[in-house]
Amino acid sequence: MVKYITRRILQVIPMLLIVSFIVFFMIHLAPYDAIDAITTPNMSQEAIDLLRQRYGLDQSFLVQYVLWLKNILSGDLGYSLVTQQSISSELLTRIPNTIKLILPAYLTALIIAVSLGLLAGANKGKVIDRLIDGICSIGISMPTFWFAMLMIYLFGYRLNLLPIIGMHTVGQEGSFIDFFKHFIMPYFVLVVAFFPDLTRYVRSSTFSQLSEDYVMVQQSFGASKKEIFMKHISKNVLLPIVTQIGLALPMLVTGAIITESIFGWPGIGPFLMTATKGLDYPVIMAVMLLSATLVILGNLLSDVLYTIIDPRINQRGTK
Amino acid sequence: MEKKKIIPILMLGALVLGGCSTNQKSEKSDKAQVTDKDTFTYAINGDPTSLNPINVSDRWGLTVTNMIYSPLVRVEGDGTQKMELAEKLEPTDKGKALVVELKENVKWSDGQPFTADDVVFTYEQKVKKENGGADTLWIDDKPIKAEKLDEHTVKFNLPSANAAAINNIATETYIIPEHIFKKEGDFSGSELKGEPVGTGPYKLDKYQRGEYLQFSANETYYGNKATVPKVNLRIISSADTTKVALQKGEVDASYISPNNIKDLDGTKLDTYEYSENRVGYLGLNNNSEKLKDVKVRQAIFYALNKDDLNKAAYLSDKYYENAYSFLPPNNPFYSDKVEKYETDITKAKTLLGEADAKDLKLNLAFASDDPIQTLQATLMQQQLQQVGITVELAGGDGTAMFAELKKSDTTKYDLFIGGYIMGTDPDLYTSLFKSDGSANYFHYANKKVDDLFNQGAIELDEAKRHIIYENLQKELMDEAVIYPIVDSRKVLAVNNRIEGIKESGLVPIYTFEDLSKIKIK
Repeated sequence: MVKYITRRILQVIPMLLIVSFIVFFMIHLAPYDAIDAITTPNMSQEAIDLLRQRYGLDQSFLVQYVLWLKNILSGDLGYSLVTQQSISSELLTRIPNTIKLILPAYLTALIIAVSLGLLAGANKGKVIDRLIDGICSIGISMPTFWFAMLMIYLFGYRLNLLPIIGMHTVGQEGSFIDFFKHFIMPYFVLVVAFFPDLTRYVRSSTFSQLSEDYVMVQQSFGASKKEIFMKHISKNVLLPIVTQIGLALPMLVTGAIITESIFGWPGIGPFLMTATKGLDYPVIMAVMLLSATLVILGNLLSDVLYTIIDPRINQRGTK
Repeated sequence: MEKKKIIPILMLGALVLGGCSTNQKSEKSDKAQVTDKDTFTYAINGDPTSLNPINVSDRWGLTVTNMIYSPLVRVEGDGTQKMELAEKLEPTDKGKALVVELKENVKWSDGQPFTADDVVFTYEQKVKKENGGADTLWIDDKPIKAEKLDEHTVKFNLPSANAAAINNIATETYIIPEHIFKKEGDFSGSELKGEPVGTGPYKLDKYQRGEYLQFSANETYYGNKATVPKVNLRIISSADTTKVALQKGEVDASYISPNNIKDLDGTKLDTYEYSENRVGYLGLNNNSEKLKDVKVRQAIFYALNKDDLNKAAYLSDKYYENAYSFLPPNNPFYSDKVEKYETDITKAKTLLGEADAKDLKLNLAFASDDPIQTLQATLMQQQLQQVGITVELAGGDGTAMFAELKKSDTTKYDLFIGGYIMGTDPDLYTSLFKSDGSANYFHYANKKVDDLFNQGAIELDEAKRHIIYENLQKELMDEAVIYPIVDSRKVLAVNNRIEGIKESGLVPIYTFEDLSKIKIK
């Protein structure tokens, strides 16, 4: 098991290198750079050249990449070209804010998805199944930003129940109630954004379990529908859910970009949006690297969880 | 299946309608308005890029700097001077020097006295090219030097006589305290390590990146002490959210676009329009072979209809003024004794015939995320079609477009829509139109224009300067390289519990010239 995990982690390194190279290359394909983004017509060419020189943007693409890589390897994520803030300290304040929002929303969505999915699965083709499926269709096709605006308009403005911007009222950073009031709307928007996909997943895997032989065997032994669901199907359905949880790991960083920007939530979202607009490559690269690492770790995590639940998979993995 | 899906759709529909139909109840929701009597909250759409007064150049960075620090002098939109830290300034040595007398008894927000040493220190940092804010302090590649005459007098020595410099050195430079920053080491970054101690109406208490900046009134401000004890700049990147936050009263003020003004009817919001002295224009790329002939360029201008372009984009003339010269209409040197290119389709066609330009095909670059530019681009396409010019729309990212146009040999775009805010002194516009100008997106080279700019910079006689810039504006318009479209107004929406907005002076970039003058009802 340990050997398996170590090997998988070692495989991650070349993968991250390739991903980082591709992203770096893509950023450099853009028709302008961070300095162009902050240049104004009042700036002399000399001042612009000086800036470009200071950030090494006058160097060739490969030299820039190697320099960046060297910094990363020594544990330095560097500084934003536009604001010159240390990226690691920005990430350290922003990631917890994002997690505070995403984690509860994702867990709620998961609980809703499992309940609704099993319910729909147990009533295949009946009204309740169609209703759940219909709700999921709407949920999937509804743009997050639109739904967020609807919430803001209704609960923030018309009914005036909740504050609409940020994570806190200025000066009330310590108050949990104040935080909670700010939290409800973006949380709800994210729950609605997350649960339909998961529900569909649970629903369809319930269907496929229903057509398995063991269900027929149980039925012929005279087990009630309830028993079959509680004892067998739900267990077998939850197993693939583990994969979903692993794959959801990168969402902790990049899962709420739109929602955060709309609600002015001080997480990764607005930070990455501004950086992308200004082609602030050290910031884009740092967030990308983080999220790529999480994708790979998430995959690893779901594989490991699998082996714990079903040891047969482990044998296949280490053969 | 289909039938059953209708139920959730109906439910959703009810939700939407519910949202709309509560329109009449708006008075009800007002009662829970945020009624903090001490705090003025102003919504800004992003973090300030720089908080370093030595090199700050972005809008929100300058807004913050203007609250904390003060310059020696301000030049108002109409060209008049307003003394801040300076008591008096006089050019001497035939325009080769400027003597500034400083106000006495001015204190920094930490209680230390403000002296000539602070001024000299500030200019010594600012003049260093590597610090990134030196452009206006160099003449013919030689630096302007600041010299202390006594505790309250500073003399600026210019390498050569320069009328523009006298205006430029004293303005836009925010004086920083030597006793705080003398150990700074590096002034090239976007944030300084020292405490933000200034002489402005407010001091910065807390900066929560991505969330807000919190200010409180500066007790030692040399002007009248601010009546509103606290000011918050709240960062909201979504314009839609900002609008709702305004309507709700969660923020007190913000910029809005003209097409949103109607939505604010019947709310507690007042709107204030003011000019930023911005010129919105259609530019011609002179690198393009098709535009080499001046007659073709003039034909394009005669085919366009400025009134239609502006009415469509800004809805009411409350929000714009037609522009006819490269200088904004409020500029003291503005002249309308220029060719105005009133729409004349026949003339345009004749000119095209004379230039032998048949089936002219041009492309037009604009920022596609800007609704006003997009609208104007489509209109221009139609207007030019009338004289037989086919325009291909090349919408894209604004930054990418100007990065391309900056390249000296670019021919990618023939026409482009842009805008600039350059400031008051006409000499500041040289970078746009001089042959070697760093922002000469027009790729226009004309010796006469260069000479006029050079003369204007060194002419010290105000009346003669006016004549020079009048000729310059005439020449540039005759040459048809820039088609000025508009001096567009900024619209600031403010909750009516806030008073004194006009008194605080709405100015380009900083919004409020002196925020200490606002009051809360």
